[in-house]
Amino acid sequence: MKKRRMFIRMITASLMRRRSRMIVALLSIAIGATILSGLVSIYYDVPRQLGAEFRNYGANMIMTAADGSFTSADMEKGKKAVPSAELVGAAPYRYENIRLRENPVVAAGTDPEQARAASPYWLIDDGEWLQNSGELLIGAKVADSFRLKVGDDIELSFTPEAEREAAAENKTADDNYKTFRIVGILKTGGTEEEYVYMTMGDLEELTGVSDKIDLVELSVSASSDKLGEYAEDINLSVPSVHASLVKRVTASETTVLSKLQALVLLVTVVVLALTMICVATTMTAVVAERRREIGLRKAIGASNSSIIKEFMGESMLLGFFGGTVGSVLGYVFASQVSIRVFSSSISFRPLLVPITIIISIIVTGLSSLMPIRSATEVDPALVLKGE
Amino acid sequence: MFGRMIRGTLFRQWKKMLMIAFTIALGASLASAMLSVMLDVGDKVNQELKTYGANIRVVPKSASVLSGLYEVEDGGTGGYIREDELGKIKTIFWTYNIVDYAPFITVDAALENGEKVKVVGSWFDHHLSLPTGEELDAGLESMRSWWELESGAWIDEQKESSGKEAMVGTELAGKLGLSVGSRISLAGKESSDTFTVCGIFDAGGDEDNEIYIQLDNAQALGGLDNKVDSIDVSALTTPDNELAERAAKDPKSLTVAQYELWYCTAYASSICWQIQQALTDCVASPVRQVADSEGEILNKTELLMILITILSLIGAALGICNLVTASVMERSQEIGLMKAIGAYNGSVSLLVLTEVFVTAVIGGTAGFFAGFGFAQIIGHSVFGSSIALRPMVIPIVAVLVFIVTMIGCIPAIRMLLGLRPTEVLHGK
Repeated sequence: MKKRRMFIRMITASLMRRRSRMIVALLSIAIGATILSGLVSIYYDVPRQLGAEFRNYGANMIMTAADGSFTSADMEKGKKAVPSAELVGAAPYRYENIRLRENPVVAAGTDPEQARAASPYWLIDDGEWLQNSGELLIGAKVADSFRLKVGDDIELSFTPEAEREAAAENKTADDNYKTFRIVGILKTGGTEEEYVYMTMGDLEELTGVSDKIDLVELSVSASSDKLGEYAEDINLSVPSVHASLVKRVTASETTVLSKLQALVLLVTVVVLALTMICVATTMTAVVAERRREIGLRKAIGASNSSIIKEFMGESMLLGFFGGTVGSVLGYVFASQVSIRVFSSSISFRPLLVPITIIISIIVTGLSSLMPIRSATEVDPALVLKGE
Repeated sequence: MFGRMIRGTLFRQWKKMLMIAFTIALGASLASAMLSVMLDVGDKVNQELKTYGANIRVVPKSASVLSGLYEVEDGGTGGYIREDELGKIKTIFWTYNIVDYAPFITVDAALENGEKVKVVGSWFDHHLSLPTGEELDAGLESMRSWWELESGAWIDEQKESSGKEAMVGTELAGKLGLSVGSRISLAGKESSDTFTVCGIFDAGGDEDNEIYIQLDNAQALGGLDNKVDSIDVSALTTPDNELAERAAKDPKSLTVAQYELWYCTAYASSICWQIQQALTDCVASPVRQVADSEGEILNKTELLMILITILSLIGAALGICNLVTASVMERSQEIGLMKAIGAYNGSVSLLVLTEVFVTAVIGGTAGFFAGFGFAQIIGHSVFGSSIALRPMVIPIVAVLVFIVTMIGCIPAIRMLLGLRPTEVLHGK
């Protein structure tokens, strides 16, 4: 009991007395531990965060009708196969040929909020996003050819199925009309620029046919293997729906994301290895300068093992403190990175704290073991004499 | 005398000096590896993102307005791009940023049983020898990397006997019962021909119902000599900023200086603008799905790497600083002796600084090359290509190492100056 008290006193006293050197050592351990815990948290969080960034490419899964009828109830059932946390957006689309100033145009009915979530790359060139009933979002090419601009009111017409024959026989068909206000002009660089977009309800009103969907675009934040499982689930559980992956997006995402992950992993490994060696050399230097002290202890009768034990205890204590400080700082760093780069918070990994502390203790312990051992092997008289 | 003292320390205490040099080398290698990777990561990731396909699409001017809307039956929308102008794409200012491109011509053809199919003519691995002397293999094989070949192979345009080969989408092949080696005859508007199926692909999109053949074969089928109806261009671009967005709307709204800046930066919009100027009557526009997302991901990755680099630079700096402080302080006895026999504070500090500086130069140089080696390991194992040596890394690392070692010396020197020779020599 007494012995242990003495041990603890010696360690703490030595730390306190040689304050400036110990701060140097502690600082270097803390930096190493910060880099360790910071980079490891980033490494674990990057796939999730980058995966979310890749959702900017838009839908990676689509659901279409398998047997002709596709209703919103089917869509809801299909959506259930995907965990809601992973579902970024699920936008239903229905396409109809309507007429704008007696020229045929493809109109798409959708859920504006979901469409925006599923296709973040759509750019509203002018005006704002579609929100309410009675509003119309038109593709840039449509705007160009009909010379339409934001704020214009325009009447769209649709010939219902029953009236088509009349139209074919050159009789005047009894069309449906509805007036819309143009709220925005859409730019995508793709075929979307040739369509006009309205809310699903408006399209149902215009056509007189309700609850019909042509296609659902799903943007799911998951790996392509998992996506494949979800698609299979949907195909099995909802027979009226056929889900398939958008290969261009999923295949490319897998290639690029795996490269980026490998990059972060390698960078982490290289930085960690170099930092740990740096910490080790500093510890070695700090311990090596105490050869005289070791010599003195030996001269007054301390055994080698007790000296090693005491010095190791001291550096491990340093390692413990450094590791604790470092794991806190590392978390702060990682969450700063996460907020700045991905504007989202990072999850705290409790397991990382003990791991950081243990690795710090091991690194400091091992790096001081070598100089201590070499110091204990020397004849005390020589050391004290200063040779 | 001064030189001899320095040499004396370096040789007699080579073990300690080696330790300092080693730590400085570690720090310098960390700094140079991270800086090299960081500066090159944008280009590398940009290359990787090319797997998403073209980020610029070029269509004829008259077709860009409403061709898709009317679904004109005879296919005669009137506007085409001239095939003989395709080479001009590689003559624009940003020619080296255009990594790949492929023209398309779509013709309707009838099968033997009278069924209509969509036939697309394009390049597969078309060899281009440009007037600038550059050689380039461009085409679908690299631009449609997500196509999965279910059987067979890509059409090889460079093969001697490459004649009438076709690639068929998986759905169409299933419907018609085609397999590799089967022959299909296609009757176009102008002529008809028989093709050998050389590959069946799964593209996961509309292409699965189409037939792909070489450009000249498709032109012959449709009687559309020298005509192309769209071009996909894959270019390395700089993420858009506010200037690029303004310029994309109307380049004429910029001031001369802004215009120069915009024109000489590889924004998607300025590349589009230059393509439009190079080709007759065409409209080039960025495919936002690819161009915009590329920008997002590039910016994020670069920022991430910058922050990691900053962290490791701080780590390297403190590591070097600590060790220098610790190892200089260790020499208090020696310095005390020097002071006892009459050395001035100034000359003692100069001696210590010079010693550390010489060590730092040796360690820093070794570390720089080691770090560049680490960067190559990262480059080769992640991206399969080497990381370019940026000249700016050298001064950054040199200045960093210099400042850091000197800062590391400051507390040690302050302590050495405060030493009282008698106390030190007495062993207190």
